[in-house]
Amino acid sequence: MDTTLFVQLLISGVLLGGIYALASIGLTFIFGVMKIVNFAHGEFLMVAMYLSFWLFHYFRLDPYISILIVAPLLFLIGLLVYRLLIKPTIGAPVLTQIFVTSMVIENLALLFWSADFRTVSLKYLQNSIVLGPFPSLGLEEMIVNPARLIAFCIALSLTVAFYFFLKLSYTGKVIRATSQDRFTALLMGINTDRIFKLTFAIGIMLTGVSGALMIPIYTVHPFVGFEFILVMFVVVVLGGMGSVVGATIAAIFIGIIEVFSGFLLGPQSKEAIYFLVFIAVLVIKPSGLFGLEREEELERIEAID
Amino acid sequence: MKPLTEQLKTRQAAVLYIVFLILVFAPLFMKNDFYLDGFILIFLWGAFSGAWNIISGYAGMVSLCHNAFFAIGAYTSTLLFLRLGITPWLGMFVGGILASAVGVILGLVCFRLRSHYFVLATLAFGQVSYIVSVNWRSLTDGAEGLALPIEPSFYGMIFAGKLPYVYISLFLFVAVMAVSYAIEHSRLGYYLTAFRENEDAARALGVKTGRVRLVAMAISCFLAAVTGSLYAQYVVYIDPSSVARLQLSIQVALFAIVGGMGTVLGPAIGAMIFIPITIFLRANLGTAVPGLHMIIFGLILIFVLLYMPKGIYGMLKDKIDRTRGISKSEN
Repeated sequence: MDTTLFVQLLISGVLLGGIYALASIGLTFIFGVMKIVNFAHGEFLMVAMYLSFWLFHYFRLDPYISILIVAPLLFLIGLLVYRLLIKPTIGAPVLTQIFVTSMVIENLALLFWSADFRTVSLKYLQNSIVLGPFPSLGLEEMIVNPARLIAFCIALSLTVAFYFFLKLSYTGKVIRATSQDRFTALLMGINTDRIFKLTFAIGIMLTGVSGALMIPIYTVHPFVGFEFILVMFVVVVLGGMGSVVGATIAAIFIGIIEVFSGFLLGPQSKEAIYFLVFIAVLVIKPSGLFGLEREEELERIEAID
Repeated sequence: MKPLTEQLKTRQAAVLYIVFLILVFAPLFMKNDFYLDGFILIFLWGAFSGAWNIISGYAGMVSLCHNAFFAIGAYTSTLLFLRLGITPWLGMFVGGILASAVGVILGLVCFRLRSHYFVLATLAFGQVSYIVSVNWRSLTDGAEGLALPIEPSFYGMIFAGKLPYVYISLFLFVAVMAVSYAIEHSRLGYYLTAFRENEDAARALGVKTGRVRLVAMAISCFLAAVTGSLYAQYVVYIDPSSVARLQLSIQVALFAIVGGMGTVLGPAIGAMIFIPITIFLRANLGTAVPGLHMIIFGLILIFVLLYMPKGIYGMLKDKIDRTRGISKSEN
């Protein structure tokens, strides 16, 4: 493989990873704080993509501007789902509550919006950006997909902003305290129920933003969530459940793996490859690359269960 | 007069016996293939769900990769018959053993993972198995699927009418419940329950939790694969999206959860509730309202989770136990 091709694939992989990162951060955040695996995350992504699509379809609203509408809407949906479904069943078997949500949302979408594949194409995104050539580095011309570049930039800046929100703001500190020890946080006068509600809604909102960023790139259909949820799980586990930084790095790693294995082995095997990576990581280091030490993490999970 | 507890027990047994008799004899008097098809589907899905329940309900290791074992069963018996001419009566056991072997290997690798992590690992494995079945064209013919010959023959386990299928699937259904019952009342069952409730304590008391779980996994995979073989024989056509889809695992999980996980009758109850709803909706609405049955499933599941966290059978059992408790205290 020559250098140009290698760099080209690397760029594509990193850009793809950036998109996965934003979608996964919400998932890892919800897991980190609430210790529930949100199987419905992909469906929220799908809803966001549809919202963005319909806003474009009926109002000719640019998907990147529609973020301003989609994100708050998803925040509200998150609050609603938490209130109706997550809170009353928080003691029930971990999985089931979320499965239901996922199933119901997916099929409501099928019911209302049919199984058609829908897509948005934007004029100004049709021309690829050409990089190079850089003769000094031995690189020829490389192509960058503008939609992916924009998505990557927005996703990355949001991730950084979110990271500092968690680190520096009062709410962020309260959320981290709750995540570390729910009961002590409660003793310190933190309203953990409110924090959970907020966490769930913020997690869903982040996914909403990534949904709007994806709509110029991917087609949307009722089962699109299922396609992405598995990738998101891979990213979240690889990065260590609950770790925002870990998820970002893992997402870029997975993006690169996907692009390279797709190129070298053919597109059909790329999914199988990263699932095998996923199983390998689970078996060798279940806490992920950046997660807590295994024992500590397990203790926490078990304390909640 | 007998004490109330025994009365309840005998009454329960009598109800079960009557239900069983109805299941055995009702198909004989049914002329409508539509209803017979319903019976077959209930038995097959009930059996699959019961197989899932052994590892997920009793042992507490929630598996989302049972679609893989179902597919192994379906493909093994079908391929053995198509390529080598081996009868499915034998092929289904080969498939079962193969699935057990795969399940045990998976168990060896993944059983040290706990709660969420195990579920996610099985989820990944389930999806990998679907991808493999789509892409391994030389073996599975990919998305085109495999069709069995339609000429009825006992050797090929293909029958003209539906009655033989009813009884074969009923036999499997009852067998799965019998196995569950035997596990529940054997040392293995107590070990599994002990391990599910508290692994460390069970280990401290000398239960070899690893081996016990592997045995449960092997049994569960074997039964799932046999169900897969029978499904293939009944439908006479298999493709990855009908036998290897990840959603199959989720569906059987749903049946067992609604009926009651870790109980003999739970999965059966789940199948008896959900399959008729599916058939009814499909018959009356057709494809006019796509996805409606899944929405209804979801709403039923939400209702059950909110009001009967232990499933329908779990709730009934609790109620019976409570009446027993009262009668005891009155005595």
